[in-house]
Amino acid sequence: MKRPVRLEPGQKLVLTANRLLDGRTVWWCADGTWDLHIGRAALLDADEAEAVLARVVAEAQRDGVVGVYDTAVQAAVPPEPVTVREKIRAHGPTVHPEFAVETEQ
Amino acid sequence: MSIPVGHYQYDRIDRDFLQARIAEFEGQVQRRLDGTLSEDEFKPLRLMNGLYLQLHAYMLRVAIPYGILDSRQLRKLGEIARRYDRDYGHFTTRQNIQFNWIRLEDTPAILRELAEVDMHAIQTSGNCIRNVTADEYAGAAADELVDPRVHAEILRQWSTLHPEFTFLPRKFKIAISGSPNDRVAARFHDIGILARPGEDGAPVFRIFVGGGLGRTPVIGQELFDSVREEHLLATLEAILRVYNAHGRRDNIYKARIKILVQAIGVEAYREAVEAELAQMDLERYRLTPEAVAAIQSRFAVPQLEAPADADAVLAQQRRDDPLFDRWVRSNTHVHRDPGHIIATISLKPAGGIPGDATSAQIARLADLADAYSFGEIRITHLQNVVLGHVRKDRLRDLWMGLAEVGLAEANIGLIGDIVACPGLDYCALANARSIPIAQKLGARFADTALQAEIGALRINISGCINACGHHHAGHIGLLGVDKRGEEFFQLTVGGRAENGAAIGTILGAALPEDETVDAIARLVDCYLGRRESGETFLDTLTRLGHEPFREAAYETV
Repeated sequence: MKRPVRLEPGQKLVLTANRLLDGRTVWWCADGTWDLHIGRAALLDADEAEAVLARVVAEAQRDGVVGVYDTAVQAAVPPEPVTVREKIRAHGPTVHPEFAVETEQ
Repeated sequence: MSIPVGHYQYDRIDRDFLQARIAEFEGQVQRRLDGTLSEDEFKPLRLMNGLYLQLHAYMLRVAIPYGILDSRQLRKLGEIARRYDRDYGHFTTRQNIQFNWIRLEDTPAILRELAEVDMHAIQTSGNCIRNVTADEYAGAAADELVDPRVHAEILRQWSTLHPEFTFLPRKFKIAISGSPNDRVAARFHDIGILARPGEDGAPVFRIFVGGGLGRTPVIGQELFDSVREEHLLATLEAILRVYNAHGRRDNIYKARIKILVQAIGVEAYREAVEAELAQMDLERYRLTPEAVAAIQSRFAVPQLEAPADADAVLAQQRRDDPLFDRWVRSNTHVHRDPGHIIATISLKPAGGIPGDATSAQIARLADLADAYSFGEIRITHLQNVVLGHVRKDRLRDLWMGLAEVGLAEANIGLIGDIVACPGLDYCALANARSIPIAQKLGARFADTALQAEIGALRINISGCINACGHHHAGHIGLLGVDKRGEEFFQLTVGGRAENGAAIGTILGAALPEDETVDAIARLVDCYLGRRESGETFLDTLTRLGHEPFREAAYETV
């Protein structure tokens, strides 16, 4: 059974995965698509995330993504992941600013 | 096609096998893309072909057997970096290269391109015998007793797709050297092999087992002192069989051979190996002189000819150019031929990313290898590049060529020659970033004159306890840890992988990332202030003990 998610005040959950074709980090959007930019990710409350996650995991092969999971973000605009790992996944390797996800279309 | 200097020349059987393997993997990729294979089913298949899924993309790890390439192969790696990656590659601590931005659907095409130059990515991952590493100065160094490359190639052929050892309890790493000066970290491998001439002139092999780094660092213990060449494969087969039968499969953290050797003791392990040998068909595994000669014949021998004044020319050039002289001091090693010299090319520019090279640099290295070292290149487990056979009177020309592409850093074996894993910038296992702290340290000690003044001092950085940056073996080691979402670094001192192998001692509590570089600078200042004439960092540490260094590291904390 999935462990219950504890969110601090001001935090929400987002769903993330890697794209099957190229492995790129993607974020789940409210319209059911996956996007490279975390700014377009759907923000979920803890009590709704589990059901959404189950649905999205079931559709992962059809959607061309791998390894779907949820992670906490500060619910700002754009949302910012809580952990260093997810910040790096969201924005790209810190040692190559020219590869920043924000500069990609 | 002429036979390459330095590594084995494939034959038709090798090439047919690679093509069949690529076709098999291409089918597996297709089945993954159309959903026939789930990710759980596909993962072990892609890992067997060196393909990982990391934080931002797939990563392909390409094998460089015993770290030796020819210029044609290196040029191909540069082309792959340019065409399929983001214009760079990363040389690893197992003498391999990794590409960090690979697309799954491109992978079969990349493997076909690699096969064009007799390369692949097989057994660069998974619970099998990984790429066998060897002395980066093999066949060139003046201090070498036995050239280990032919036996490294024999081990490569023996271990590739070995039917018994494809699903070991855990990954298995072998290193081999033929020098009395350990340059392969033999005591930190699952099996470390040191070759030397026997009484009859034929090589004999000293074999260590159960070494390793990672979560449980252990120094390997001697299993046999003098294994004869004819029994080398039988002995290794027996060692692996004992491990395969008794190694733990119930706990990934206790599955390496080092845990088994610790649990039963090296004497019991030796008895088990001898019992296995006693019931094996030794004739089947006998390594005959004819078999060794057949492999040897597929290595070309460099024709080492140099003008009589080559040494004098180099000496004059060093007197005339202090910057060149500094590079020669730190970045060269004595060759067995008096007219030649071994050049180590640093992939550690001040403030740069350890082990990274752009496609332009890779292409230039291939050109320089053709011009100056018989088209042969070696990758070191310390993430640098070696040209093994450079004529002394042409060394300065090589150095100037390297400078044109930013590869003339004079820091080999010095504090700027930092070993670092990819860390949390790329790696799905990491807890902290290794590269930024390496860049900060590199920038802090950028002055090569200061580095020369500090002398021999190795820094190794790992982004997690798996220790791909070999932090336990660093004179100063850094281990990245995650404390409530923040990056901290635990410092160790006194590790060494060379002769007299030792595991570093933890100095104290992990430091916040932004305090780590200053703490290391204070460690270095402590050493510089208290060293006696001729002492290295390790010498001073040994004489004084850890306490002054611990006090220095934590003085403002």
